[in-house]
Amino acid sequence: MKRPGPLLTLLAGLLLGVFMLSLDATTGTKGTSYRNESPGVSVSPSSPPSPSPTRTTPSPTPSKSAPPNADYAGRTDDNSSAVAVSLRDGKAIAYFCDGRDKESWLRGDVKDDGTMKLTGKHGAELNGTLQEGKTIRGTVDLGGQRYGFTADKAVRPSGLYRATATVRGAKLEGGWIVLPGGGQVGILDRDGKPSAAPRIDPETGAVTIDGEQLTARPVTP
Amino acid sequence: MTVDPNAATQGSPSPQPANGRASAARYLVPALVAAAVAVGLGVYGKVHEPTGIAFDLAGFSSTGAVKSWLATTAFAFALVQLVSAFMMYGKLPGPSWAPVLHRWSGRIAFLVSVPVAVHCLYAFGYQTYEPRVLWHSLLGCFFFGAFSAKMLLLRSERLPGWLLPFVGGLVFVVLTAVWLTSALWFFRTFGVKT
Repeated sequence: MKRPGPLLTLLAGLLLGVFMLSLDATTGTKGTSYRNESPGVSVSPSSPPSPSPTRTTPSPTPSKSAPPNADYAGRTDDNSSAVAVSLRDGKAIAYFCDGRDKESWLRGDVKDDGTMKLTGKHGAELNGTLQEGKTIRGTVDLGGQRYGFTADKAVRPSGLYRATATVRGAKLEGGWIVLPGGGQVGILDRDGKPSAAPRIDPETGAVTIDGEQLTARPVTP
Repeated sequence: MTVDPNAATQGSPSPQPANGRASAARYLVPALVAAAVAVGLGVYGKVHEPTGIAFDLAGFSSTGAVKSWLATTAFAFALVQLVSAFMMYGKLPGPSWAPVLHRWSGRIAFLVSVPVAVHCLYAFGYQTYEPRVLWHSLLGCFFFGAFSAKMLLLRSERLPGWLLPFVGGLVFVVLTAVWLTSALWFFRTFGVKT
């Protein structure tokens, strides 16, 4: 007589594993398709002047066009972390990084009035406002904490850099914020495990990781 | 649930001589399945491009914390496994429902460990870049092979008395090593947090 119990146990484990895997697969695609359609933002303001009363009347805001392309970098109010935002054609990518183990990449659209709401993995969120094209002031919500930040317009080599590579089977992902004044904050992920990143050469982006020479490149949305 | 399913192997040194070829399959099938499971997981982890991300459970600060707590839960149930096994074999005084406890704590431990393994394999894959990681990858795959063997062996009768305790002990030791190289490392490195 054969007992079915152990087989059922194995079967249950298998089913659970397949179920989790399918969840992962769907999460994965959702997580990587962040840069798809962005209805509205870059839609030409010169759309047919139809007498659409449904459309809210074109507000007489001083800046009707999308915010100019530029990079911004700065620190959080508590000085614990750095935040950099890169704007291109109404889209934004931001990086929050404390230089040790807390980091987040956030993406989203910038509205014509200069406000932005960017989102990242694990519910991270950045709300900011571009003020007079010079400064982004806002907050980052990450890991249950809220960080206020101020990021001033940054000119190369200040800005946001990223490098990815696979070294001896380990997947490396580095993010750096080069602050105005030359300070750097960066995190290097080895297979998803964060640690402080070695400095990059801000002029060339060159950085040596685990004996391997890599190049960090400026990030744009 | 009326009869202790493990009673066949309990205590008696099983003097029955194993009957030739039929018995060979009894060991060969679980061994082959175990090898297939372990190697299969390892190959998947090696071939599949690690994604770095995966489905996340709400209420925890990070995926690492979720996994560490799930793994710790599995390890706690594994300790129950050890104690209840001693009870079933009469090495420790225990209640009459020790076999039920053993069966269900084992099931829970196994089922809790599955999401952790899925995440490991999906997000990280089979990695060898430092000794801790190498051992964790190796033993993690081995664990599910050994567990499969244990489950399949349970369906056989008239096994040598030492075999189930040996395989069960192996499963326990390997799970412990897997836990030490991951969850304990996580708690020591990042602190005990939820």
